[in-house]
Formats: sequence, structure tokens, C-alpha cells
Amino acid sequence: MSYAELACTSSYSFLRGASPPSDYVAEGIRRGLTAIGIADRNTVSGVVRAWKALGDAPDEARSALLAAKRDAGEPEQLTEAEEAACEPNIRFLAGSRLVFSDGTPDIIAYPATRQGWGNLTRLLTVGNMRATKGSCILKFDDLRDHLGDLLLIVMPYATADAEEAHKNPPVYAFKESAKPIAAPSHLKLVSTAPQDWESVLRRLAPVHAGKLWLGVSTHHRGKDKRQLAWYRQVANAFDVPLLATNDPLYATRDQRPLHDIITCIRMGTTIQKAGFALEANAERYIKTAHDMAHLFHACPEAVAETERFAAHIHFDLEQLKYEYPHEPVPGGWTPDDWLAHLVWTAAHERYGAALPEKIRKSIETELAFIRTEKFAYYFLTVHDLVKFARDQKPPILCQGRGSAANSTVCFLLGVTSVDPLTNTLLFSRFISSDRKEPPDIDVDFEHERREEVMQYIYRRYGRHRAAIAGTIIHYRPRSAVREVGKALGLTEDVTTRMVSTVWGSFGSGPDDRRLVEAGFDPDNPEIARLKALSEQLIKFPRHLSQHVGGFILTENRLDETVPIHNGAMKDRNFIEWDKDDIDALGLMKVDVLALGMLTCIRKAYDMMREQGIGDYDLKVDIDSDDPNVYDMLCRGESLGVFQVESRAQMNMLPRMKPRSLYDLTIQVAIVRPGPIQGDMVHPYLRRRNGEEKVEYPSPAAPYPPDELKHVLGKTLGVPLFQEQAMNLAITAAEFSEADANRLRKAMATFRNVGGMEHFETMMVEGMVRRGYERDFAQRCFGQIQGFGSYGFPESHALSFARLVYVSSWIKHYHPAIFAAALLNSQPMGFYAPAQIVRDAQENGVEVRPIDVNASHWDNRIEQGALRLGMRQIDGFRAVWAQAIVAHRPFASIEDLARRAALPPAAVHLLADADAVRSLGFDRREGAWEARRTPSDELPLFAAANARELGAEADAMLPAMPASEHVAADYQMTRLSLKGHPMQFLRGMFAHEGVLSCAEANAVKNGKRVRVAGVVLVRQRPGKGNAIFITIEDESGVTNILLWARLFDRQRRAVMASRLIIAEGEIQRSKEGVVHLMATNIIDRTDDLARLSETHPANVGKPKIDEFARPHPPRGSHPRDVRILPKSRDFH
Amino acid sequence: MVEKQRGAMRLAACDPAAHALGLTAGMALADARARVPDLAVFDHDPVADLNLLGWIADGCERYTPACMLDPPQGLLLDITGCEHVFGDAARLAQDLHARLSRHGFTCRIALGGTPDSAQAKARYAARAISDVPVEALDGGDKVHKALRRAGLRSIGDLAARPRKPLAARFGKAVVVRLARLLEEEDPRITPRRSLPIIHVAQNFAEPISRTNDVLATIEMLAGSAALQLQERGQGGRRFEIRLFRSDGHVARLAVDTGTPTRDAALLMRLIRERIDALSDPLDPGFGYDLIRLEVPLAEVLANVQVGLETKIDTNAAAAALIDRLSVRLGAERVRQFHARQSHIPERAALERAAQSDARKVDWPKPVPGEPAMRPFRLFETPQPIEVTAGFPEGEPRSFRWRRHVHRVTRVEGPERISPEWWRHPRGYAPGNGSLTRDYYRVEDNEGRRFWLFRRGLYDEIERPLWYLHGIFA
Repeated sequence: MSYAELACTSSYSFLRGASPPSDYVAEGIRRGLTAIGIADRNTVSGVVRAWKALGDAPDEARSALLAAKRDAGEPEQLTEAEEAACEPNIRFLAGSRLVFSDGTPDIIAYPATRQGWGNLTRLLTVGNMRATKGSCILKFDDLRDHLGDLLLIVMPYATADAEEAHKNPPVYAFKESAKPIAAPSHLKLVSTAPQDWESVLRRLAPVHAGKLWLGVSTHHRGKDKRQLAWYRQVANAFDVPLLATNDPLYATRDQRPLHDIITCIRMGTTIQKAGFALEANAERYIKTAHDMAHLFHACPEAVAETERFAAHIHFDLEQLKYEYPHEPVPGGWTPDDWLAHLVWTAAHERYGAALPEKIRKSIETELAFIRTEKFAYYFLTVHDLVKFARDQKPPILCQGRGSAANSTVCFLLGVTSVDPLTNTLLFSRFISSDRKEPPDIDVDFEHERREEVMQYIYRRYGRHRAAIAGTIIHYRPRSAVREVGKALGLTEDVTTRMVSTVWGSFGSGPDDRRLVEAGFDPDNPEIARLKALSEQLIKFPRHLSQHVGGFILTENRLDETVPIHNGAMKDRNFIEWDKDDIDALGLMKVDVLALGMLTCIRKAYDMMREQGIGDYDLKVDIDSDDPNVYDMLCRGESLGVFQVESRAQMNMLPRMKPRSLYDLTIQVAIVRPGPIQGDMVHPYLRRRNGEEKVEYPSPAAPYPPDELKHVLGKTLGVPLFQEQAMNLAITAAEFSEADANRLRKAMATFRNVGGMEHFETMMVEGMVRRGYERDFAQRCFGQIQGFGSYGFPESHALSFARLVYVSSWIKHYHPAIFAAALLNSQPMGFYAPAQIVRDAQENGVEVRPIDVNASHWDNRIEQGALRLGMRQIDGFRAVWAQAIVAHRPFASIEDLARRAALPPAAVHLLADADAVRSLGFDRREGAWEARRTPSDELPLFAAANARELGAEADAMLPAMPASEHVAADYQMTRLSLKGHPMQFLRGMFAHEGVLSCAEANAVKNGKRVRVAGVVLVRQRPGKGNAIFITIEDESGVTNILLWARLFDRQRRAVMASRLIIAEGEIQRSKEGVVHLMATNIIDRTDDLARLSETHPANVGKPKIDEFARPHPPRGSHPRDVRILPKSRDFH
Repeated sequence: MVEKQRGAMRLAACDPAAHALGLTAGMALADARARVPDLAVFDHDPVADLNLLGWIADGCERYTPACMLDPPQGLLLDITGCEHVFGDAARLAQDLHARLSRHGFTCRIALGGTPDSAQAKARYAARAISDVPVEALDGGDKVHKALRRAGLRSIGDLAARPRKPLAARFGKAVVVRLARLLEEEDPRITPRRSLPIIHVAQNFAEPISRTNDVLATIEMLAGSAALQLQERGQGGRRFEIRLFRSDGHVARLAVDTGTPTRDAALLMRLIRERIDALSDPLDPGFGYDLIRLEVPLAEVLANVQVGLETKIDTNAAAAALIDRLSVRLGAERVRQFHARQSHIPERAALERAAQSDARKVDWPKPVPGEPAMRPFRLFETPQPIEVTAGFPEGEPRSFRWRRHVHRVTRVEGPERISPEWWRHPRGYAPGNGSLTRDYYRVEDNEGRRFWLFRRGLYDEIERPLWYLHGIFA
């Protein structure tokens, strides 16, 4: 007896299936099924994972068996029988459960052929396009239009919910227009959707004979036998065979509680109130052929039919081969020749008629490789995008990042900007024939103008051939705890408190120690239940979203490969497979990403052009070896500079003393959680400064003693880059290429799905076996684990290092322009406008205040000085600024309001921001005057009022004290040119014996001091055993370090204050980096109120350093990319 | 106290201890928790606050009937003409302060020539109106901010300046309010209760506490009220008696009549009944020092004809019956079955007080043409039986119940019902919940129909036991 389960509902039927697809495959193998089919609700987003899980199953079984043998001390070899047992004897079938919104019962559809797959995905696309993001509205008639090569299992019941229709569905025009409507319209009029399974059979049986089944299940509902007999009778009448299925909602019976919970989450109810929404029993799991035979003993043919059904299917996801778009090749050229032509032309342009040998050789190898792998179209597509961006007026800055920087071809095509002549590139890190994957080129564009590039892609390839990759949003510990808590009926404050015990966004659920701290008893049944269930829910897919900017392009219709969805943003559509699925299937993706710093650099270039300083672009106009620029960086003056502006980076710069682009590459990569967690930073620094001998740990005798020198030579024996970590695993722990590749994958996806534990033993034991010290091995692995959370590959760091250099160069030579560009690109980076302006002033830039008769919307350069723009005023609008610029000069506030047609709010903002001084008013008088000025009135009345406004007795307003001016400046513009809030409190603090920052920084090592300042940054990097706080006053900044054990006592003062006094000891490193080792933090925020009772000084909520809460370079929502994640304090 | 505001839990109010820790109203709960992890929070209940304020206002009506709520935390009393009872206004304030303090309230009492000035002085704890901050203008944040930015902080600053520029900038309302604050213009307050048509009251030098004394006083008051009604040619539709206890509590008795009346005897009968029917009888405590009778509603005394024919709604009739029985027997004594959504048969129905206002769940509708899935009669305790059945998980063939063997001739099932795992401490883990049941509907050779179940699947328990859970008619 054999059986195939064909109706598995996986977790990709969001909140309906309680098992991930891979669990179904594993359970199918375990239960000895002949085939397993995943059919999720109106989606195929889970099938690739299942398909891949099956593909990986033999390898995994083999590794597990080998590991078991190793542990048992047996020889690591498999017998033939064992080898055979590792090959699962099961087929995977990809299908979908069609759930209709018009009352038609569910129908499970499996494509029999590649063409059938195309029909299925087109059908789903039709439904997706009608609905808002994430849902699908299917009608029975849609199915009738896409019947070809689909095998259909009609289920006797419907499981549809109401779906939300898209208000104005996008026009989704295909080149070949939709087929003419076949049925005469008068027939359409009377046709309504079938409301029960019998009428579905009646309609479909005549037109779809031989490809139609009736799916029957016995779930122990009390009258199964009678019902089965009835199904059998009716189906026989239509000549439709019965097909047995258990319609599983989870792989194993244990998962019923989780299924009940997700049902509650879906219905928005609690487990106590859910009632009949829950299943009565736990029968809907994967059953064996034997169990099914027992259940269907009255109807054995239904079980046997599953086998026959599976035999009809000739489709496998492997058949989804597709073609790259052919557009970018002009007529008469083959893609390879055209690519070669472009590359050689560019090479000669760059390096002259006689090419350096190194360049010539690498171009030849790369081109040959691209030719054999047929990647030419891909390179040409990327080149086309970059060319488009550069051809715009004004051009859009762009630069490739990631591993593509390892390719000379990419450099010559203008995609990347790491010169292969001066840097050693590793083409094999980019693509190699070992990795059966397409190349992956990521290109950053200016964040404000990326949309233009995206719309160009849609224009060029059409909506039917271009779409953004999907992203599966998973439950994270916090959301899992919150939702499960709600479903269990816990009150909101308990749930909120539970959530607060979860650390970070990744990792596992609440841990017991934290629970006790929060006042919970981990043994309390309610708490234990919440913990157990939320741990199961973590990593469950939650909904489908879109990738930041990964485009999938095809030569043919994309919707015949994968269903397409409407994006949340207008004019966006995305497919339902994510990056991993796309990789697994070998589809090609171009990443169109956004980078704020590029916008900043472009704005700086624009201003430089305006000022007649020169015309620059990103390519190579600015060399990367100017000693003055490096001198500045070595002093730690990197405020605003790309990537190295954080406090941690600033502290590291004087220690690293970068002198070359490669030094910057290391600098970018070293202050990252990976190297820090792996404890690699200090050894590197010591070696670099010659305090420690550069050593390469050696394996035991038979192995080459200097093998690590090849791997780690460039970084002085300390692994810092992803590539090195991988190489280390291959060389020192004898990973196979396949293992190393899986390790790389695990590193990339570690955050979501785990799987690193397996590699830990493999690597550590592998290295120990070859004679390395266990401690060293453990440290190496620690670092690899760190990479899982945001490590840098070398090539990526190289690309970024270029931007570090370019931004430093602008900062050094054109500080005013740099500050203006930074301010105009806000929000970006770590620092508030106040710090940017202050830094500019310290670099000798004259900064002029905002004024209606001088400022523009943007910050501008005015005779070499920086004139602040009206964009600095909170709540001001660009259109107002434009009107002001168009109508000036103004003589009075009334004149300003009338001629620029400003609404009262705008005039009030200007007056409050002290921007009307050129009209003869200071802030207070201006505001008083502005309040009486009517605006946007009809001219007739305006004329009448004009006379009335004439005379008014002087209100004799009291003069505004300077401290209040400063406070008001901070409130309106977050910065003040009139002073620093601290200077008004100086007298008071001096009286208390508190030093200024400058004084504190000047005292000798080891002295105990008290210093006060406004908090700029709070961070808790790495393992979190130290807290860094940076405070500022009118004299400078002081860096404070507070150990975590001291922190817990002063949590409140550290977390909540804007103004603090820190007590502690000054420590001075030999590079001159000064820290205050704090023992005591006192909250003095209330003193800020002394400045002004009317203007709460908005010194800004401190931003949190990237170091503390590193944000992934990609993977966030596209709407958020332009803005750095909202600052959030750690808890 | 916390409250959900703009999607986040925020502090609505804090006690002095919390203030001392730097917490303020309006702060997000998450921020507060970050500062004070072991913060005790309770749900803010504005309705309860308002009720409490109303309760205080009731007590204040001993001073004046013209009393107005000024939520969330204020009361306005118009004591014009009432102060002489206590000597003067200051004495009255003293008395009020003493009474409120006795109840544990912190209060600020201010006297002013206009309600606005008194309110502002009390709210901002100012002695003179010129010290009151500009916020007292109630002109909205924008106006206050603008004034403060102009360096004008208090009502005193404004009083000295011309009004015209103020009106031009901030509107008429601000100037009017300023005039009222400065007691240049005197509006009246709108009392929370409209003044009754007739009110009579009796003050006592020494509080009285015996019920008979109370009733005698009421009778006396009723008599004088009746007299007044007669003079007006009216009958009262509603009579309210308020008993002011010396400790500040105010008991209120209201009697409604279907038709207008001025018959003091009838009124007394109704009042006596009302007092008898009180769930908690009058508690005079330390005695009443003031009893007042008011007639808020009166009509011309005339007869009204009742309709001859009315349709009776059965549901309404049942509800009326339930109401009547509940009044007579006690709400908890009249009970009714309610449906509950649960797969577990004995939990599918629930007995509750008939008057319970819990959400009603519909009873499951039977499918036409289908035999009933649930028996007519369900045993409260399933009866253990001995069963011969197929193995494993086979159908029952015969069973012995109360020493009588029933041979099963027809059987349908099983209907498998899993336990509600969430009701067992570790029920989410396999094997920890209770046992799964397999129910069978069976018919024996004599045509009797039973509902049997086997408790436990064979992979859950070695030897599952059988029970009879109900019989079909």
C-alpha cells in the first residue's frame, strides 16, 4: 500500500498551517509516503523551500550519519545500504490551493507540465492583482480561463474569508493582449459561481475530463462513513475519481496547540473564546499509508488514486529555466561580443593603448568565464542601468557594492569603483563555477533618486517582465510573544512586560533569568505556556513583503514563472519568492539599492560645480592617497564621514592610523560586531602597531605549517573578512567546497533560520584534529558566528572604503560644502544638525543664520560661508521657501506674508526661528508682529486691512534673555549659533565644582572628576558589558564609559536624561584617546528648564550608534531605506 | 494609572511617590518602565473619576444647589446668598475643606468674584489673580505659547496692557475670558442639576438617625410640598429626597409616579415601599443633618386614559417575567442555560443568572434531515460501562450498563474530540493534556439509542475505558 499526501497547508498559508514546508517533507520521508504535495492558499511561496529541503535531504542525512559515526568512534564511511537509505524515496509536488472569493469550494491545483505551472502562476497573478498587498481575490471564472494542464482536486468545502479588494487595480498590460472572451456574453450573464462541490463537478467534469478529482477526508467528525458513501455516489455519477487526503494543517499531531494559537491570532480572538473556530481534534497531520488505508477501508480506491495522481505530474521546479532579457544588445551583435567590445573599449580609455599585463589577463579570464556560463546578458543589463543613471541630467550617482567589486569587468563597465590595477581582486569570490549560482551584483544609487532608476526598469522591460523580489517577514521574538500572549488571553500589561524580557530582534524567546528579573516565575504554568508556544512561533513567516530593491527580469512573461503581487507602494509589484528561493532556482536578480551618502556626495559635487571648484564624479577623479586627508582621519576627525563617523570608529581611527585605501577597508570592517564578538580587534591593533609579533598558528606535523599565512597574510594573521572566515574553514578545518558554501549560506541566513550549531562542531573539531589549539579554533568560529549578524566581505568593504575616502576628501578640502550637503541630506548618519554645524565651525567655516532675505530652502554656500537654509526649521515647507526666494527682498513682515502668500503658520515659524532680523525684528518682536499680520486674504480685504494695520502702540514686550534665545533656537532648528545651552548653566555647575568637557579632557591620567554635558549618544555595543555615553558642552565633548554592572544601579539616570553629571576617573590612552571611567551618573535634565520656561530646549533625543544596533545593509522596508532607522534606546 | 493614547500605553496620572521618581503624566509606559522597572500600574478609569467627582458634588449641594462639575478635577459652586448659613464665605470654605480632608481628598479652595477667577486661582494655586499664569486663559496651546514667547507670563502682565492688540492677535474669546478672570464681567454657572420646581428642606442642629424621625421629617416636607403643588394646580411626577449625612455621604431616594400626584399619603406609601425595597437599607451612620425634598418634574394634574388593546411580545413577556422573578427572588436565583462554544460536550452549555448581561452565543442549529449529533439527555457524570469493541479504535459491538447488556446493532462514529489543552497546566506539550475521546452514536437491538465514548486513544493510554455520556430520546 502506498500513499501520497497532496493537500498540505504549510506555514506559508499565513496563520493557517502550523508547520514549515521543510517539516512536511521531513515527515513525509519519515512516514514513508511516495509523494508529498504542498498546496498553500492562493500562493506558491512555500514550495521552493520544500523543494530545496528535499534536495538537501540526502546530504543532510549523510552528514548526520557520518557525525553519529564519528561520535561513536567508527570509521567515517557509509556502506552502500546506508548510502541508499540516505536517498529519500519521495517525490515533491508543487501546487496551490485555490480559495475562491465567490463561494466556490476550494480546489487544489497541481500543474502537470511546465505549461501548467505557467497557467497556475498566471491564474494566481490575476487574483493577486485584484487585491491589496498580500491577499488574492480569485473567481471561478478565472480558473476556467487557465485550465490548461492543471490537475484539479475539488474539495467539498470552502475555507474562504473576505479579502480586501484593491481600490484601483493597476493596469497590468501584457504585450500580447488578453485572449478575446470566448463565451458569448449572454451566457456569462446567467453564469454564477458554483456554490457547492457538486455543481463544481457538474461544470468541470465535461470540460476537464481525466484531470479532475474529488478530495475526500475522514477527520473523525462522527458521520464520516455516511458522508464518504455519498461523495462516492455523486462522484461516480460524474465519473470523477475520489482521492484520499488528510488535508493536513500540521506535520505532526503535537503541533495542534500551535495551530490553535495561530487560528486565534488570525481571528483576533483568545483561545478561551475561539470556540468552534478551533478544530475539534488533532487529526490533521501527515498519516502513513497504513493509517489512511484503515481510515478508507470502505473506499480503498481513494487511497490508491493518490499514487495515480502523482504519476500524472511531470513538472518539477527544476524546469523553471529562464532567459535573461535581451534588450541591452544592439542589433547585429552577440551579447558576448558586445560585452567584450564595451569592456575593451573602456579598458583602453582608462589605461591607454597598451594595457597593463595584469588588467589584460584578468579581462581575458573573466570574459572567457562569462562566455561559458552565458552571463553576458546579465552584465549588460546591469551596465544598462548604470548607464541610464549616469546619462541623466543631472546624473544620478551610483556605485556597485558587495562581491561584484572583485571583478575587473564590473569596474570597466562603470559598475564598481575599485581599481583592479592598484588592488588585488579575487574574481572567484564573485562568481565561480563551483557555485551553481548566478552572479549577484548590488548597485547603490542616491537614495532620493533611486525611484527614477526603478521606474526606468519598469519602462524598459515592462511590468510583465520586471518585478521586485519578495521578502518573507518572519515572526520575531517580540512579536511572537506579544501575539501568543494575546491569543492565550493574557492581559496587555503582562504581555508587554513579557515582551520587555526579550532581548534584541533575533535570537530566541524570553530566557528564564530575564523573566525572573521582570518579576515572573518561569515555572508558573501560564508563563511556561507562553514561553513554549512563542518559541514555536518564532521564525514563522508572518506576511509577504517586498525586497528593498532586488529586481527580477525575464525575457518572457514573468508571471508564467512566479505569481506577482501588488506592492504597498503605488507602481510597485513584487513576486512571491524571496532571495533564497531565487538563488535556489538560479533566477537572476539585480539589486537596485539606495544609499544616503551618495545623495550627500552628489549634493556636495553640485555645490562644488556651482562654486567653480571643479566637476567631479565618483569614478576616479579623486585619487585615494592624499596624505592630508589621512592626517585628518588619523586625528579622529570624521564627523559626517561615511561609515567611520560613529564614536567607536572615531576612537579607533587614531589607533589604526589609516594611510591607504586598504587601511580604510580594514577600518570599515573592523569596528563591526563580527570582529568584535570574535575578539579580533585588539590583536589586530597590537600587531599593526608592532606591539605583538605577527604569528600564524600552525597545524600539526603533516600539514603545511604556513597554510594560514596565505589566508590571513593581508590582515596580519587576524581574520577580519567574511572571505577569510570561509577560507579558514576550508584550509584549516578541511571543509569541502560544498560544506563551505553551506556555511556561507548559513552565515547569510543565520538570523532567520539558525543552523550554525552544526557547523560549530564541524569546524572546531576539524581544526583541533589538524593540530590547532582549541582556543584559537573556538575564537575563529566565534567570529564566523558574528558575521552572521552583519559581517563585511572584503570586496564590499573596499567599495565602501572608496566612499569613506571621497567623503573625507570633501570634508577636508571643502568643509563648508560638506556640512551643507550633510544638512541637506538629513536625516542621515549619527549626528544632529547642531553637531554638524559645530564641527564645521571648528573647521573654520563661517555659519550664517537663517534669514528670509538671504536663505534658500537648502543650506547654501554664500561667499565661502555656510548660510543655513529654511529646511532647518522644523515643520517648514519647501514650497514656502520657494515663494520667499521668488519674491524677495521684503521690507516688513506684512510684506513677506502678502507677497509670498504665506499662511500664518509659516510666518509664525519664521519669526519664532529668528529669521526676520533683516526686517528689523528680533524673535520676540517678530513673533508679536507676525501674529497680527493677516495673510491669504482676498486682495480686496487685504487693501482694507492694510490701513488698519498701520499704527499700534508699542507693546513694550520684555527683552528676551540670551539663554531663552538659545533654547528657542534649539526648539525651532535644533541648533543655535548664539551659544550652547550649557554655557548658561556653567556658573551653577562651576559652583558645584563640575568641570567643562575641555577641562576634563585636559586633566592628567587617573584623576577623579565631575563633568556635565548634554547627552549626544548612548550605546551598548557588542556583548553589552560596557555602556558608552558621549556628552557635549560649549567647550567640547567627553566620552564616558560605564561598566554594565554599574549601569543597572543607575539605569534611570542613564536611560532617561538629556543632561547629566558624570563622576569618575579620567583615563588616557597612549594614542591620546581620553575616556571618563564613570562610577556615577546623575540626571540633571531638569536644569535645562532653567534656560527658558517657555522654550523647552530641544537638545534632541540622543541617537544610537550603528555599533549598538547595527542595521543590516539591506532587508528593511524600501520606504525606510532613505532614513536611518529611528533611534531607539536599548532596554 | 495608564491609558491607551495614540496607540501607546501612556501614564494618565501618577501618585506623589511616582512624581518623586521623575515620572509625569503623558509619559509612555515603556519609557516609565525603563526608568522604574517595578512600577505598579493600574488602568485609568475616567468614568470612575467622573463618578467620584459627581459624588463630591452631591455632597457640596449642602452648601448651594447651584453646583457645577469642572472635570476632570474641579467643582464650581455658586454660593451667592448661601454663605450666611455658615457665617461668611471663608467659614463655608473652611467647612468644605474640613469635610473633604476627612475623606482623604487633597483640595484647593479659592473664592472669586466670578467663576473664572475662582477656578483659575484654585487651579494654579494663586493668591491673587495677577499671579495666575496665562494658561488660565484656556486659549489653546498656540495662544499660550505665543504669549509666553512674547514674554507675557501671567494674567497680571496682560492686565496692564491694552486689550486691542490682544484681541487682534488671539481673538475675542481670549479677551472675554481675560475680563472674566479680572472680574470685570460676571457670568453665571450652569448648575449640573436644573433647579427643582419646588424644594423644601429641614436642617437639624443635632443630626437625627432614627428611621421614624427621618420618615416623620419626610412626611412633614411632603405635606408642605403638596401644599405648594396645590397652589400651582400641579401634581408631581417625580419626587427626590436627599438625605445629607453628617459625614458627607448623600443618600438619594427618587420616586416616580405614573400619573401626577400631590397626595401626601400616597407619596409616603411609595416612599416607604422604596425604602423597604432598598437592597442596602438606609444607613444613617452618625445621623442626617439636612433632609431635602425636591419636585423636579411636575405636570398639570389630569387623568390619562390607558390603551384598550396592546399586543404582547412573548420575548418581552419572558424578559418581564425574568425581571419580576429576579426582583422578587434575587437575580442570582433565577437561572437559565446559555450556549457556549466548546467542542467538549459538557462544556457546551453553561448555567448562568438569567439576567446576566454577558454576550449571548447562539445555540448550534440542527442540520435538517440529519440525525442529532448530541443526545437529548446528557449525563452530568459519564457512566462507566464495559464494552466489547474492535481493536484498536474499532466500533463498539456490545456494552453493559447497569448490569444490563445491550447489543449494538447500528453504530456511527467515531466523533473524535481532543481535550482543551489550554485548560491543563502543561497541556501544550504532548502527553500532558487530558485524554482524547472517541464518541459513538449507537442503537441497541431494542431500538434505544445511546452516546458512548472511549476515553483515550490507544497510543495515549494502554487500556482506555468506556463511558456512557447520554441517551437519545
